[in-house]
Amino acid sequence: MLKNIENDMSNQYSHEKIIQLRKKRSAADRRFKTYGLIATLMGMAILFFLLFTIFSKGYSSFQKSVIELEVSYDQETLKITSDSTYEEQVKAKFFRVKKNAIAKALPDLSKKDIKLINKMFSINVDKEIKEYFLNNPNILNTTQKIFVTAHSDVDQLLKGNARRNIEEKKRKLNDRQLEFFDEFVSSGRLKTKFNNFFFKNADSRHPELAGIAGSFVGSLFTLMTVFLLAFPIGIGASIYLEEFAPKNKFTELIEVNIANLAAVPSIVFGLLGLGILLNVFGFPRSTPLVGGTVLALMTLPTIIIACRASLKAVPPSIKEGALAMGASKMQAVFHHQVPLALPGTLTGTIIGLAQALGETAPLIMIGMIAFIPNIPTGFTEPSAALPVQIYLWVESSERGFQEKTAAAIVMILIFLFLMNALAVFLRSKFERKW
Amino acid sequence: MKNIKISSKNVNVHYGAKQALHSVSLNINENEVTSLIGPSGCGKSTFLRCINRMNDLIDICKVDGSITVDNEEIISDEVDVVSLRSKIGMVFQKPNPFPKSIFDNVAYGPTIHGIAESKTDLEEIVHSSLKRAGLLKEVKDRLHEPGTSLSGGQQQRLCIARAIAVNPDIILMDEPCSALDPIATAIIEELIDELKANYTIVIVTHSMQQAARVSQRTGFFHLGELIETGDTQKIFTNPDNEKTQGYITGRFG
Repeated sequence: MLKNIENDMSNQYSHEKIIQLRKKRSAADRRFKTYGLIATLMGMAILFFLLFTIFSKGYSSFQKSVIELEVSYDQETLKITSDSTYEEQVKAKFFRVKKNAIAKALPDLSKKDIKLINKMFSINVDKEIKEYFLNNPNILNTTQKIFVTAHSDVDQLLKGNARRNIEEKKRKLNDRQLEFFDEFVSSGRLKTKFNNFFFKNADSRHPELAGIAGSFVGSLFTLMTVFLLAFPIGIGASIYLEEFAPKNKFTELIEVNIANLAAVPSIVFGLLGLGILLNVFGFPRSTPLVGGTVLALMTLPTIIIACRASLKAVPPSIKEGALAMGASKMQAVFHHQVPLALPGTLTGTIIGLAQALGETAPLIMIGMIAFIPNIPTGFTEPSAALPVQIYLWVESSERGFQEKTAAAIVMILIFLFLMNALAVFLRSKFERKW
Repeated sequence: MKNIKISSKNVNVHYGAKQALHSVSLNINENEVTSLIGPSGCGKSTFLRCINRMNDLIDICKVDGSITVDNEEIISDEVDVVSLRSKIGMVFQKPNPFPKSIFDNVAYGPTIHGIAESKTDLEEIVHSSLKRAGLLKEVKDRLHEPGTSLSGGQQQRLCIARAIAVNPDIILMDEPCSALDPIATAIIEELIDELKANYTIVIVTHSMQQAARVSQRTGFFHLGELIETGDTQKIFTNPDNEKTQGYITGRFG
C-alpha cells in the first residue's frame, strides 16, 4: 500500500500536468482581472458622463440675467413723504416708479417700444425696486442704478440657450427686442449674476422666478415624516421578530411578506395612499404628511431587513454573556444587541430614506404634483417635493425650465450625496469592534 | 463530609429527537472544584448549561429530571431564571467581554441587579472583583479602555471578574482555558484554586491534566452518560470503570 503511494509520487507525468493546468489557471485569473477592470472603468465612464451632462446643463440655472435700470424714487410718484411710516412705504406706488424707469430704459422709445421692452423684464421688477427702497429708505427723491431681473427669454438668449439667427416668428424676442438686447449688452447693462431666486423661491409660472426652495422644504418635511414613522416602527418590528417572536408558521409568513413588500412597485403604495389615506381617512391632499406616510410604508421593509440583518450579525456570545449574567431578555437585547446593531440599522434607514427622496410615482398619486407657489411651513400644508418638481419642470414647454430641471436634479443629487455621507459618518462613529 | 450544593437526579436532555444526556445523577459539593471530563460531544457542556438553564435559549432543547441548587428545584417553569443566573455565574469557552470599557464590563451585573447602592459602592465592587480575578494590577490604570483591547487571558479573567461581581454562589466554567496559551492557562488555574474558598466551581475541560490539577472531584461523561464520578485522585489513578480507565490512559477520546 505504502509502496504504491511512493510510486505515484515519483510519477513525473502527473506533476507536469499540474504545472500545465496551473498556467491555464493563472491565465484565467488574469483574464478575469481584466474583465473586472473593464467593467469598473465602463461603469465609471457612464457615471461621469451622466454627471457631466447634468451639471453642464444645470449650472447655468445658478445664474440669472439682470438689467440695469435707472430708478428715480420720486416722492410724488410714490405718493409718500420722508415722514411716512413703514406701512405707508410698503403701500407706496412702486409700480409707477417701475413704469417710468422702464420707459426710460433706453433713450427715444416709442409707446410700442415701451411695451416691447417691458416684456424683457421679469414681472417681479416692481418688488425688487420696492425691496431696494425699503432697505435704504433715505434714497427718497434720488435716482438709483439698480440691477433688476430680466425676463427668462432674455436670460436664455444671453446664456446662449436660445438661438437668435432663426425666423422672427419662431423666436421669443422679435427683431426690435433683439436691438434693445444688443444695446443693453454693448453698454454693459445686461449681465448675469448669482441666482438667489432659485434657492429662495418656490415654484412659479415664470422660469426666471421659479426656485426649488418650496420643493426642497417639502421633501425635507416628507423625509422627516418618513423617518419619524418608519424608524421606530421598523426597529420595533425587527427587534420583536428577531429576538422575541416565537418561531412558527405565522411569523415565517410575516417574514416572507416583509421581503415581498420590499419588492412592491412604489406606485402601488401611492394607490394605497390615495385609496385609504385620502379617501377613507380624509388626510389633507398633497401634503408632506400623506406623502411621508406613503413613503414610510415603502421604506419600512428596507429598514426592517437592514435592522434584522445587523441584529443577526451581533455575535451570539455577547447575548449569551449578558443572559448568563442574569440580564433579562429585554436588557440583553437593549443593552448589548441594539447598540451593536445600530450602525447597520442607521445605514439601512438612510438608504431607505434616500430611496424615498427620489420616489415620484406614489407622490403623484396622492396629489403632490400640484403647482404650489408657496414654501410649506408645516406637515399639513400642500407642498411639492424635489422629484415631483423635476417632473413638473421637465414637462413645461418654456425653454427656461430646461436648465431648472437639470439644476433640480443636481440639487437632489447633492441631497443624496449628503445623506450617504451622513450614513458613512454614522457608521464609522457608532461602529465598535469586538 | 462537605455540603452538597448542586444535586442532579435522572437528568435527560433531548435536542429534538436526539438524546444528549441519559439519566445523569451527580452531586456537586460546596466550595470545591468539580471537573467534568470526557470526549467531544459527550454531553458535559450540555449538563453544565442545565445548571444555569442556558439551554432554555435553544428552542429544540428539552430538559427533564431534577436538579436542585441549595435543595431548591431549578428544572421547573416556575423558577425565575434571571435570579437563578444571578446566583450562578458562568464563564464561556471563548472570552466574551462586552464591547464596553473594562469598568462597564464588571459593573454591568451589579448595575442590572441593583446591587450597588451608590457610585462609590459600584467602584468598590468593580475593584474588588477585578482584584479577586487577579486582574486589578494589570488594568487599574486603564479601566476605561475597551475590554476587548485586553489579551485573551486577561479577557477571560475579566469575564471571571464580571461573573463574581454579582457575588454568585456557583461559577460554571465551560472550557475556560481552551482558547488560551499555557501561561494564561496557568494563571487562570491558580485563580480557580483561590476562588474555591468562596465559590462552588464546576469546570468542563478537555484537558485531563487540568482536571487533575484544579479539581477535587471529577465526573467522566461518555456518549451522554455519566460513567463515573469520584475524587479526582481516585479517578485518575484507580478508576472503577473500564471506559474511564481507557479515556484517562489515552486509549480513546
